Amino acid sequence: MLFTSIPFLYYFFPIITLLYFLTPNQGKNIVLLMGSLIFYAWGEPRNVFVMMISIVPCYICALLMERNRGKKSECFFCAISIMISLAFLLYYKYMNFFMETIDRISGIGFSIPSIVLPIGISFYTFQMMSYTIDVKRGESAQKNILDLALYVVMFPQLIAGPIVRYHDLSAQITKRTHSFDLAALGIRRFIIGMSKKVLIADQLGELCAAFQTSNESSVLFYWLYALALMFQLYFDFSGYSDMAIGLGKIFGFSFPENFTHPLTSSSITDFWRRWHISLGTWFKDYVYIPLGGNRKGFKRQMLNIYIVWFLTGLWHGAAWNFIIWGLYFALLLILEKMWLFTIWKKHRMISHVVTFVLILISFLIFSAQSVDDLSMMVLGLFGIGTTSLLSPLALYNLKSFAIVLLIAAFGSGTWSQNILALLQKSNTGKTMLRYGEPIVLAGLLIMVSAYLVDGSFSPFLYFRF
Amino acid sequence: MDEKMKNKVVCIFIGAMFLLGFLCCVMLSKPTIIESERRKAAMFPSLTWNSISNGSFMREFQMYTTDTFPFREQLRKIKTNSLFTLFRRSDYNGLYITDGFISKMDYPLHEQALWKAMERFRYIYEKYANENNSVYVSVIFEKNSVTAKTSGHLSIDEDVFEQIVKEKMDFANYISIRDLLDKEDFYQTDTHWRQENIVDVAERLAANMGADIQSSYTTHLLQRPFFGVYKGQIALDLPSESMYYLRNEIIDHCVVYDWQNDKTMDVYNMEKAKGNDPYEMFLSGNLPLITMKNNKADTDKKLILFRDSFGSSIAPLLIEGYAEITLVDIRLIHPDQVGRYISFEGSDLLFLYSSYVLNHSETLK
Repeated sequence: MLFTSIPFLYYFFPIITLLYFLTPNQGKNIVLLMGSLIFYAWGEPRNVFVMMISIVPCYICALLMERNRGKKSECFFCAISIMISLAFLLYYKYMNFFMETIDRISGIGFSIPSIVLPIGISFYTFQMMSYTIDVKRGESAQKNILDLALYVVMFPQLIAGPIVRYHDLSAQITKRTHSFDLAALGIRRFIIGMSKKVLIADQLGELCAAFQTSNESSVLFYWLYALALMFQLYFDFSGYSDMAIGLGKIFGFSFPENFTHPLTSSSITDFWRRWHISLGTWFKDYVYIPLGGNRKGFKRQMLNIYIVWFLTGLWHGAAWNFIIWGLYFALLLILEKMWLFTIWKKHRMISHVVTFVLILISFLIFSAQSVDDLSMMVLGLFGIGTTSLLSPLALYNLKSFAIVLLIAAFGSGTWSQNILALLQKSNTGKTMLRYGEPIVLAGLLIMVSAYLVDGSFSPFLYFRF
Repeated sequence: MDEKMKNKVVCIFIGAMFLLGFLCCVMLSKPTIIESERRKAAMFPSLTWNSISNGSFMREFQMYTTDTFPFREQLRKIKTNSLFTLFRRSDYNGLYITDGFISKMDYPLHEQALWKAMERFRYIYEKYANENNSVYVSVIFEKNSVTAKTSGHLSIDEDVFEQIVKEKMDFANYISIRDLLDKEDFYQTDTHWRQENIVDVAERLAANMGADIQSSYTTHLLQRPFFGVYKGQIALDLPSESMYYLRNEIIDHCVVYDWQNDKTMDVYNMEKAKGNDPYEMFLSGNLPLITMKNNKADTDKKLILFRDSFGSSIAPLLIEGYAEITLVDIRLIHPDQVGRYISFEGSDLLFLYSSYVLNHSETLK
């Protein structure tokens, strides 16, 4: 089920919220778990069983690990649990890709089965692995399988994150508080996230579609597409994260932040501290540091960076463009560590501009349909393979989407926060904000509903991961 | 109002909106027809184990809730207004308003589609025509071609379009009617042209095809407000239009035969005029094969008009110059089947199509 759909907003959400708050504390987790399973089954009626089955070995292995603390068998059960989780991921997400690659290299020509990717499998698999590793690191194993299931399948963050580590959520599952303050914060975050997705990202998606279906290849159109794509991805994914965090707050949970103005980054290193933070943290904590991080010399650090970014690329999708995308960032991060940082420090403005362009290019790689498509897109930005500098359709779309692009640029920066902070400093500003907030939120909810009622199906881009 | 009170207001106010939305969705009666879009509303899907396990229930429920959402039309208006005023978008799904006329952008020129249409016409020509048939072709460039010139929207290059048609249909005489069409010749809220404003077009076509028409008509007002198809699509408050139709003795005595349903009818179907799309009053709308017989003809000339819906309103203006006009819509009947019903012997052939149909010729059989 999509957050940005009428069935979610006006059927599922009111029902689950009412039931949740009418249920006594001891039953709230059950309500959330049942609701989460219905939420997932709504979009993936068959794969809900795959998800539920994959939780069982994770639960049993963690109990066995705890029972065998300090023994060799603890590592054995940890490895078993991780291998089972990975086996599901490998089968559903990567089997086709591996078989196609082997088939292409060997030329055998064997038939490749069609395997449907369960939505959100990368996210919930990483949560299960987080649980297993955290138990291995000393966290208590969850005795109640329903509570563990709730951690894995909790609907706000089930299918597109943020990836919440077990360590951060375990205490909240057993005990959390609810208040008007938290719920109001959650509602605000949820509606703003929804507006980012429906009012901005989906409109920019129309611009991207106009480029993709057009055969006009002007330099302006390539840049327009690249900008629209970057903003679309940002507003789509960060909008989803806002909604997830907002819903979490309504139900008393505190999920980690996933984005902090990544498009204003001054370097690629900075970018990855601000973009999809929960994934970056997961790889840092569970892969990069265990591999030795930067503690074993620069050469080993470089190798570790390549491994982590190869896996990050592969996590995003079973296709070569994602692997290239990951390795592209590995290369940039290594270059920054070697000498780019010294330049960035001296030229702050240049560092922002270059980083922005590098991020822009990265998203072209990210969304490329093939390696040929990838090179065509990137070269097109610099006029290679294009027919002209300007084209009628590019100029028309520039005019038609100018305001949306400006709002996107404004919204992705820190200006809006700065303005709010400025208003908070004066009494008049505070009063304006307090009276204005419910009205603005209601207005946004009506607008989003209007767009949904009239709109077509538009899933979140990160669902395919 | 302090921060705590504001938070309570947000929770209660927004919570009430969700709850009210839910109650309205569940309790209010559901429309079965969406009149503005001239289609049936999605129905509540059947709830079976099969429909749940294959996901069809969920997909159909999504459509059902979207189609039957309370105050749907008002919300659609909010969307369109916000797109045009807040976001300053130039169009909404290709539709835009200029000087009170709603037009639909048709851009770019899809050469492959145009070639495919020309191939279909050549196929018809080679299958049915010979040296005894005079063949003509004309293109109706739609409202967008006129309005886009001043509004800054995009339209296909008419010169290139006509050039391709002339080259690919070298077996036909091209009759240009571009200069005769202005935006006022079309309905403000519909794709079609106004019959009362295309008399000059009919005259030019007739003159070029050697048919004699006097163009003497009385103008009649259809006694109901007319909203075109674009009005529902764009979901904005726009005034209704008046629809007129032209009559004379020849048209009144004309008999129309519907080959598909094996029945005769009048040129103007007043039952259809009361329906969702009053434009269907002209020759009863979408029919694959119909023949108009001119009982007052002083000629034995016959015309086979390959056409789209634009042809329905111009054919009555041409009938004076012919003993018989057969209208063929190859979007609804395969060209191979046409010869089973009608003879092409000695008939003139006119291919009269809107630029939109030719530019999106996947609908042609």
